Amino acid sequence: MSSNGKPKIAFFDFTSCEGCQLTVIDSLQDHPELLNVVEIVQFREAMTEKGEDYQIAFVEGSCSRASDEPRLKKIRQQAAIVVALGACAHLGGVNALKALHPLDEVRKYVYGDKADWYETYDARPISAVIDVDYAIPGCPIDRNEFISVVKALLLGKKPPIPDYPLCVECKLKGNVCLYTKGQVCLGPVTRAGCGAICPSFGASCEACRGFITNPNDNSMREVLIEAGLTVEDITSIYTMFTTYQVREKIQQKG
Amino acid sequence: MAPLYYSITTEEQNVSLTILSKSAFQEFVARLLPHYRVVGPVPHDIGYSFEEIQDVTELRMEYPTTILPPKKWFLPPKETLFKFTRKNGGVIQDPPETPPTVILGVHTCDLHAIQLLDTVFSSGQYDVHYMGRRKKTLIISIECLSPCDEHSFCKDMGTLTADEGYDLHLTDLGDSYAIDVGTQAGADLLQNYSSSSVATKEEIQKLNAVINAKWPKFSYRLDFDVSELSSIMELSMKSPLWEELGNRCLACASCTNVCPTCFCFDVKDEVELDLVTGQRVRNWDSCQLDDFATVAGGHNFRASRALRQRHRFMRKGKYILDAHKHLGCVGCGRCARACLVNITPVSTFNELYRQQETGSH
Repeated sequence: MSSNGKPKIAFFDFTSCEGCQLTVIDSLQDHPELLNVVEIVQFREAMTEKGEDYQIAFVEGSCSRASDEPRLKKIRQQAAIVVALGACAHLGGVNALKALHPLDEVRKYVYGDKADWYETYDARPISAVIDVDYAIPGCPIDRNEFISVVKALLLGKKPPIPDYPLCVECKLKGNVCLYTKGQVCLGPVTRAGCGAICPSFGASCEACRGFITNPNDNSMREVLIEAGLTVEDITSIYTMFTTYQVREKIQQKG
Repeated sequence: MAPLYYSITTEEQNVSLTILSKSAFQEFVARLLPHYRVVGPVPHDIGYSFEEIQDVTELRMEYPTTILPPKKWFLPPKETLFKFTRKNGGVIQDPPETPPTVILGVHTCDLHAIQLLDTVFSSGQYDVHYMGRRKKTLIISIECLSPCDEHSFCKDMGTLTADEGYDLHLTDLGDSYAIDVGTQAGADLLQNYSSSSVATKEEIQKLNAVINAKWPKFSYRLDFDVSELSSIMELSMKSPLWEELGNRCLACASCTNVCPTCFCFDVKDEVELDLVTGQRVRNWDSCQLDDFATVAGGHNFRASRALRQRHRFMRKGKYILDAHKHLGCVGCGRCARACLVNITPVSTFNELYRQQETGSH
């Protein structure tokens, strides 16, 4: 806690596009009063100062190399609360797609003849390395959800992250179901909280917020097959953001 | 049931029946607009939605059905119950009052559903939020003259017509509407804002012909009479069907969210960033969601999708009827349209009936 009584918070980034931190900056423009209740001590994307004394750490990005691990562990050691910020930190995100290909091929594809210069391994959510208290899902995060999570943490409450399917928010908005229009969508198995933003603008949900705790995967697959998707199509849509989770499920099933 | 025929011999009995030409109806709505919030069916994407209109040309009185029922104008998906502050002993500020509203084009299935909701929200704990809106709202319903699609089964559920629940009820006679006046408020609305005329003998004959022609167009889809539904449900608690439905169900809650009779909600406090002021909000909830029946301590007494589907159909076919004397399902077919895995009331009720007839459980 700083001398002014405000909790100190810090932002960190790992393998990511930094879009979630940009969304945080965006939400600060909508809610500048956030700075009345917290003190930001470290936020590379937005400020020069770099304080190492913080209680809440927001971490964007996945862990994609060995040298990320000690840095993550140091953050965990310092912070009372660690929050995964966005799909990469929460799920591994699109970075985890590289696990579907041989690592050498991926390195050469990305770095060409400089492939040997860079250390890398399969991207994982930060929860694979350290204990994570909460996650703000999404690619990018929803700015309103970020604010509501901060408020909950300041009140000592569990952040209100929904654990029900996106269809709920889509229906409440009165949207025509994308399946009715001949499109496919992962809404029935995806965690709500984004206000069904993609389906509301006619785009399929690709599960950037991850799956709900108890998705009916068998039924979802039947629906996708009935909609004309091949097994390859289904694998592709199911692994866009959630390769790490899908692989974990397969491993659990043996 | 509403009268299937209007008497043409004694016009005194038909004083409530008046006629408004289609153009006069347009003028009527246009005259309402400065004085009322006017809501009606309008095109929305490739479907229809009950929305506030600014101009009478937005209205589509001939529409198959809407994605969400008109319920949302009485029980919004999300509403502020009151605002509060944690200082000064907690001052509570009431929500703004609802403007006087006219909802146009309500189909009779939805009309029956609103009657159920009225009963639910006015009995027991009187719900000032729902009833506050309801009392400020006049309903102008419309008789369905042909089925909206293959999913509706209003004829089975006795909701293909209505003899109450509306302020004014329209029947399309081609170039005019026959208007049945349901309440004094409806009569006043008609008198103040329209130039309707009492139906002539010919117009009553035409109305009878239209009503006569409509019934055969709707087919029965249940294999039994709806009066048997409650007892069929009562004997179906242990049916193997629930497990089968549970395996298919996505637990996406689309069925309950589009349902005109579902009324479950959740109440939460949302606090502003000053951590002092805030609002208590009410959101639609669904018995189909995983944590709906999770109680303090973490126990979930309807953890499986099978139990939740059973609970849903028990509500629709029996519990609501027992508690409120209205069937919990009005046969609108919205849940069947919304379900991606084809779980429908018609197939469910028929299968339960079949299992009992054949003694298969």
